[in-house]
Amino acid sequence: MRILRLARVLAALLRVALMNAAAWRASFLVELLVGASSSVGVVLPLFFVYQHAEQVAGWALPEALMVTAFFLLLQGLVGLLIEPNLSAVVEGVRTGALDYTVLKPVDAMLVSSLQRVAPAKAWDVLAGMGLLAWSAAQLPAPGPGGVILAALLFLAGLLAVYAIWILVICTSFWFVRVDNLRFLLGAALDAGRWPVDVYKGWLRLLLTVVVPVALVTSFPVLALRGEADATMLIQAFGASALLLLAARRTWLAALRHYTSASS
Amino acid sequence: MSLLRALPPLLRAFPTLLRVGFAEMVAYRAEMVVWILTATLPLVMLALWSAAAEGGPLAGFGQAEFARYFTVTLVVRQVTGAWVVWELNHLVRTGALSPQLLRPVNPLLFNLAETLAAIPVRLLVLAPILLALFAWRPDIAFLPSPATALMGALSVLLAFALSWLVQAIFGMLSFWLEQSVGLFGLWFAAWGLFGGYIIPLPLLPEGLRAVAEWLPFQASLGAPVEILLGIEPQPLRSLLVQAGWVLLATLLARWMWARGIVRYGAVGA
Repeated sequence: MRILRLARVLAALLRVALMNAAAWRASFLVELLVGASSSVGVVLPLFFVYQHAEQVAGWALPEALMVTAFFLLLQGLVGLLIEPNLSAVVEGVRTGALDYTVLKPVDAMLVSSLQRVAPAKAWDVLAGMGLLAWSAAQLPAPGPGGVILAALLFLAGLLAVYAIWILVICTSFWFVRVDNLRFLLGAALDAGRWPVDVYKGWLRLLLTVVVPVALVTSFPVLALRGEADATMLIQAFGASALLLLAARRTWLAALRHYTSASS
Repeated sequence: MSLLRALPPLLRAFPTLLRVGFAEMVAYRAEMVVWILTATLPLVMLALWSAAAEGGPLAGFGQAEFARYFTVTLVVRQVTGAWVVWELNHLVRTGALSPQLLRPVNPLLFNLAETLAAIPVRLLVLAPILLALFAWRPDIAFLPSPATALMGALSVLLAFALSWLVQAIFGMLSFWLEQSVGLFGLWFAAWGLFGGYIIPLPLLPEGLRAVAEWLPFQASLGAPVEILLGIEPQPLRSLLVQAGWVLLATLLARWMWARGIVRYGAVGA
């Protein structure tokens, strides 16, 4: 029963968010154009690099493109669903508008995470899906197990990134002005656009453990290639479970800390 | 003192503007640090190119050359960084430009002073990153000849002027359009691809490269990087191309300001 109600709330939230985004038509169109150009900008460099080299850190072009496809999917989903909300929450903490969210009889973290969408970012999702299909066609077909595993790994990574995003939001309850932290996080995610083997040493550690963007982009490709091993799975699901737990805990603590601007 | 008084009022005010700008940078230091750290894409690109060059140099770029190229790119990008497009957009949209117009100094020049004052702070934040890069690859260090250093410095100056002017131009579009930051996003994408930000120009396909050399994207980033590294065969031509774009952008910016300020609706007044 509770789940059903939650789903209804989710659908309503998304509908309102979409209506809000489409209300500013001219800006909406420009953003669509910019979104398309930035998707192209992510993919094009790889073609330039592979003009000069057959393999990069053991990855051939179609495989590297597949990593980029997952990166576009990640960036698109984050930009579409998660990022617009971060600024909304930060703004709410500063102005006290969060009162209205907290007062609602639905979980505040859920509402805060889904009150806005940025449809222009759907380009990245579309480009990601297109690129995924195209690069998959160049490679030997993976087994059904690989596909399921890849999907699970991508989902785990996505949840981990969502958790990190919540953690960043939470800092605003203490420091108020953190809206540019999202750009920093965006910059960290940027590193996920290339195969993880490109990075060496502590940088690699950073990208698989601290900001586990490699989980979302490289690991699914490895799973599709049939190269996923147990450590990878433990690492991926462990990291995302831990991060989600930490995010939930911190969110609740932060909410207790919230004093509202009006009272 | 008498010498100072002989200067036009604007130049006399400039040192004070710089001081104010610097004080603002210090006041919002945490924010500034975060902004600076977001421009680390050259390092991400370095990782990719460096891995690609493992098997041997690509078009004359070995791992050391890539490291040097993207390190210099990181620095030049920071030193020539501006934010006037967002600032103008915000000022025009909210009407906050109105009180600034009452000042005896053009708001754009005030922003220019702020942008210049931020440079020392940017270099300070970059220092640990550069040290880490140097520890990773000591062969990053290089010493340009005096002539190269001089031309490089001039080229960085022109690149700074051009990037600031371009942002000011896109920012001033908000006098006519609701949303000009989005349009700047298009410029930014092209700049990334053809300005040497994510791929050194010498590695572009020949035809593209011949065109890109003349475009304002390269003039606002790649040109100073290549001159400083001494890999630009015709540094003087690069400088001339840069100067031409700066001149053109100055004229356009002045024209737009004169027209735009008449159109400005002063929201909230």
